[in-house]
Amino acid sequence: MSEQATIVATDLTKVFGARRALDRVGFELPAGAFLSIFGPNGAGKTTLLRILSTLARPTSGNAQVLGFDLKEKPGDLRAHIGLISHKPLLYLDLSAEENLLLAARLYGVADPYERVGELLATVELTARRHDVVRTFSRGMTQRLAIARALVHDPQLVFLDEPYSGLDPRAVQIFDELLHKVRQKSQDGKPRSFCMVSHDMDKGLALATHLLILERGKVVLFARKEDVNPGEFARLYLNSVGMGVA
Amino acid sequence: MTNKPRVSAWQHYRILLGKDLRREFRTREMLTSMGIYTLLVLVIFGTALVQAAEKVDILQMSGGLFWALIVFTSLLGLNRSFAYEKEDGALEGVLLVPLDRSVIFLSKLTANLLFLLVIEVIAIPLFFVFFLSGLPLQPTLPLALGPLLVGTIGIAGIGTLLATITINTRGKDVLLALLFVPLIFPLLYACVSATTLAICASPALYDIYPAAMALAIGYDVVMILVSWLLYDFVVSA
Amino acid sequence: MDSQPSRLNALALPLVIVGGALVIVAFILVFTVTPLVSGEAATNGFLEINGQYITNKLLLSQKIFYFHMPAAVVSMLALLFTAIYGALFLKTRNSAYDLRARTATEISLVFVLMTMVTGLAWTRYDWGVWWTWEPRLTTYFILMLMVFGYFILRTAVSDPERRAVYSSVFGIIVFINVPICFMVTRLIPSSVHPVIFRTDSGLPPLMLIPLLIGVAGFGCIAFALYRQRLRTRQIEQRIETLKLHLDELSLEG
Repeated sequence: MSEQATIVATDLTKVFGARRALDRVGFELPAGAFLSIFGPNGAGKTTLLRILSTLARPTSGNAQVLGFDLKEKPGDLRAHIGLISHKPLLYLDLSAEENLLLAARLYGVADPYERVGELLATVELTARRHDVVRTFSRGMTQRLAIARALVHDPQLVFLDEPYSGLDPRAVQIFDELLHKVRQKSQDGKPRSFCMVSHDMDKGLALATHLLILERGKVVLFARKEDVNPGEFARLYLNSVGMGVA
Repeated sequence: MTNKPRVSAWQHYRILLGKDLRREFRTREMLTSMGIYTLLVLVIFGTALVQAAEKVDILQMSGGLFWALIVFTSLLGLNRSFAYEKEDGALEGVLLVPLDRSVIFLSKLTANLLFLLVIEVIAIPLFFVFFLSGLPLQPTLPLALGPLLVGTIGIAGIGTLLATITINTRGKDVLLALLFVPLIFPLLYACVSATTLAICASPALYDIYPAAMALAIGYDVVMILVSWLLYDFVVSA
Repeated sequence: MDSQPSRLNALALPLVIVGGALVIVAFILVFTVTPLVSGEAATNGFLEINGQYITNKLLLSQKIFYFHMPAAVVSMLALLFTAIYGALFLKTRNSAYDLRARTATEISLVFVLMTMVTGLAWTRYDWGVWWTWEPRLTTYFILMLMVFGYFILRTAVSDPERRAVYSSVFGIIVFINVPICFMVTRLIPSSVHPVIFRTDSGLPPLMLIPLLIGVAGFGCIAFALYRQRLRTRQIEQRIETLKLHLDELSLEG
């Protein structure tokens, strides 16, 4: 059980009408890994992330995420995953504390007040806990969004373009925070991450595993150590650069 | 894998409903806008009826007018009820939680129903003062509360489903009206009939009122059941 | 499911011919053997509708009924298929079902419009008014609005899968709503003007036979139109797929 892979995806395909968003995507991600997904716009990165995080269903193929069957047991899986998106997934007219308490109660966290207090301290928002989220800066909102995603101590965290719209200072805080939560996991089990980002440097720096998608197909999936940086840069420009041009 | 404590559907329902009520209590967004809109529609009705001095006609028309008011006001509220769920992906956050998604429907339905009932509590006395003061009140008037409740439940039910759909569309306000009004038509027809009969103490009251109420209740049961069954598809799409 | 052309497509042309022939037969029968008056309508001669007295003798315009009612029946049938294909789509998520639901609704729209036009002509010439809130007419008016709503909903959603889900759900609800509309308008008479008029007195065979032939004829035509329309759509979709493949090939080459 402890050596279980985080994600085992087999032939994940998403088709609708003539459009093939994902085409037989398969890979195996070990526990504790940080996967960075690269690819041009429309390559299927977000679709893949949405399928793995149970927000969308594959047309065919399947995946075992944290040992749960994506098609059979999406509900059980949801209790163990979190999502940090470019949208904060928060209610702007509720306070920071209310938002976190709401999430904690929905997930059935054992001691919601204690957990929320702890998280607010982690993301350094204790002083603003009673303020309505609408009054927060983009960076503060994003910090709260991180706390919101971690409220139930998920074993696998999905990150969907978490840097978009952040100013440099907010990016720095976000990185520190990510580093912190990466180290710490409540029950001592390694936490895994799965990130989609346009920022190649960030994606490379954080990753242990790399995945390049192009037109819904896997172009590259490898451990970072096994990839020659020059070769990766060439592949990356080849697929991602093409999308831009 | 540690098993986290499971939260029951009932608890989820209460938490989500509590969230809607707390938000509304703080911003008073829906109640204020619906309340003001109610007042404005009453002014428009008053202007439209300026030349119609026949008191008897007003009595017969008042049931229909009142329901027109409810339909317009509820459209405004229903449009609002999902705007803040989409605003910053909050609804997506709820979808990530392991919960039965039809609970989202039931909690939203309840919130919309409560807000509509509050507006009705304000609108009814205003309506009486503006249009029915000085007119003979019939002893059967309390019977009008039946269609009022049944109609409001149906409006909140089908309206919640349709608002979930239209929030993701272009031109959502107009589209909600376009989908909502024809779908609500049978309920509106039954409720207007029952309300008018009760207000006028029509001799046909005891023949038609039970039939109208039975149809309105039947509509509520069928439509809310279908919406509840289909809600998972809609909210997950 | 749409990769192979269906053998049903071959039926389209013969069905149009058969349907057309049936409608013509019904047309001839209506004007030759069908009587102008039926049952109780002959006895009183006048009818009160919304306070107006209107002749109740069946005029030549009553012949409209033989086209009005089959069109209404066929439009309802098409809507039934919208609901069935919608449910199948929600179950399988196969876009081919969405295509069928949409095509069925288009056919329904054609026949709903036909029903409305013939209905208006009928109220005008038979009852002397352009519009009356008569149960069937009202139900069809509402139905027409709902079918319009279906298409406007489709154009208002950009994501194709989401569009398919929403329109499937709406199609199902519309189909459930129609009988409720009809029951409500039928069972609750207007209380202010308690006029109750019903025409369900049972039709004599000479009226019923052309009616049934008309239903069969319109049914054949509707099915043929449906197959033809669906085929066009399927071909369009295949072209889209081929274009995408070509794109891919040119990029890889």
